[in-house]
Amino acid sequence: MNLERVPNEEKLGLCRKYYLAGFAFLPFLWLVNVVWFFKEAFLKPVYTEQLQIQTYVKRSGLGLLFWVTVLTTWITIFQHYRAEWGEVGDYLSFTIPLGIP
Amino acid sequence: MLFVPVTLCMVVVVATIKSVSFYTQNDGQRLIYTPFPEDAVTLGQRALNSVMNAGIMITVIIVMTLVLVLLYKYRCYKVIQGWLFLSSLLLLFFFSYIYLKEVFKTYNVAIDYFTLAIIVWNFGVVGMMCIHWKGPLRLQQAYLIMISALMALVFIKYLPEWTAWLILAVISVYDLLAVLCPKGPLRILVETAQERNEPIFPALIYSSTMVWLVNMADTEWPPKRNSTEAAAPPPQPEEAPEDVASPPALSRDDGGFSSNWVNSQEHQLGPLQTTEDTRREIQEMPSDRPPVEDDDDDEERGVKLGLGDFIFYSMLVGKASATASGDWNTTLACFVAILIGLCLTLLLLAIFKKALPALPISIFFGLVFYFATDNLVQPFMDRLALHQFYI
Repeated sequence: MNLERVPNEEKLGLCRKYYLAGFAFLPFLWLVNVVWFFKEAFLKPVYTEQLQIQTYVKRSGLGLLFWVTVLTTWITIFQHYRAEWGEVGDYLSFTIPLGIP
Repeated sequence: MLFVPVTLCMVVVVATIKSVSFYTQNDGQRLIYTPFPEDAVTLGQRALNSVMNAGIMITVIIVMTLVLVLLYKYRCYKVIQGWLFLSSLLLLFFFSYIYLKEVFKTYNVAIDYFTLAIIVWNFGVVGMMCIHWKGPLRLQQAYLIMISALMALVFIKYLPEWTAWLILAVISVYDLLAVLCPKGPLRILVETAQERNEPIFPALIYSSTMVWLVNMADTEWPPKRNSTEAAAPPPQPEEAPEDVASPPALSRDDGGFSSNWVNSQEHQLGPLQTTEDTRREIQEMPSDRPPVEDDDDDEERGVKLGLGDFIFYSMLVGKASATASGDWNTTLACFVAILIGLCLTLLLLAIFKKALPALPISIFFGLVFYFATDNLVQPFMDRLALHQFYI
């Protein structure tokens, strides 16, 4: 949908809903929120709801950052130590590469 | 402007076919819709089997279309919505899970369950939100392209050779008949929607622009409208002051409807679900907006194409790349053929300004080019290369 023609209250509502829904393990949703509402929040002339939209975008950004760090750490740990963990490693793996111990 | 999404979809399908061997392996599993195996001994038996397979498939499609038309006619909107919801759920979660699994296997990458769960969950939920609720237009378009590609890949994998080609041919003919004949189901659908002055229930349709409907605030306008609507003559005068020309266009927008049958093949689990086959009708939206909406010009020209068209185009090109002896030559030839067909269809749309089937011309060209290139051009090129003879 095009945000251009949406009234401000609806934009706020949409941003808020995306923000709240992102708590259900959905960092991608937070990313969409940040990218989509970035222009609205920071690059447009001020309007009443803009401040709140800004808070939501910032919080979504923080949440996103948090998830990115968590995931990166986990993935690095997993990829590095998978072979050493033996059985537990296999149990956690969805696909097991062939040929590499 | 429809070229970019169609091209993207085809590129995704061809890239997957070329790299992930899963989709070209014959596991011996078949769809329940195509029960006859094609590995029969004699050519005649094989031909008969594929004809019967295609027949069954087409019957299923026709039945589904009729059911859809009946449901629409008797205003069972909830049923249709629920059906679409379930089928997109299946596509977004289950098929993408399988796709990811095969891609990771191909590239020999280890993935743990946790990361995979997060990826699939995110992809699926955001997809459902974008397609069925509200979301950024680009993202919605991207999701529609992805699910069309997934569907096409499923078809390529599970339809045996001759059956697939036959189905493509038969479905184009059916599309032609259903949309243009006075008693065709799609035509009835279109006319019913016109009578009721409401938008055709959006099957999965790809829309190149999102039209903002001022007076549609109370109804959920599924953003997946991909049908170019024909510019019908201006509707009732009360619609004139409306901001967006879409209401007028919508009241005539039934061409955007394509019958959907979604075949979800639970080949691995056994249960059978029907998938929707979206046929596409192309219509162009008229740009008869009131002058106030000068800034809505891009939205007015929204072009829509049904997702079924995406699926079948990609299926044709994917099959060509999978099974052609000429490899890239044939693939490219089919690709060009389909785009030319699409051009011609859009041209016809501009001339006739009503719902048109998007499948026949492109598929016809695609099939002709495929068989011609594979059987005539490729051996010619091979011989030339063999003798190092450059022309």
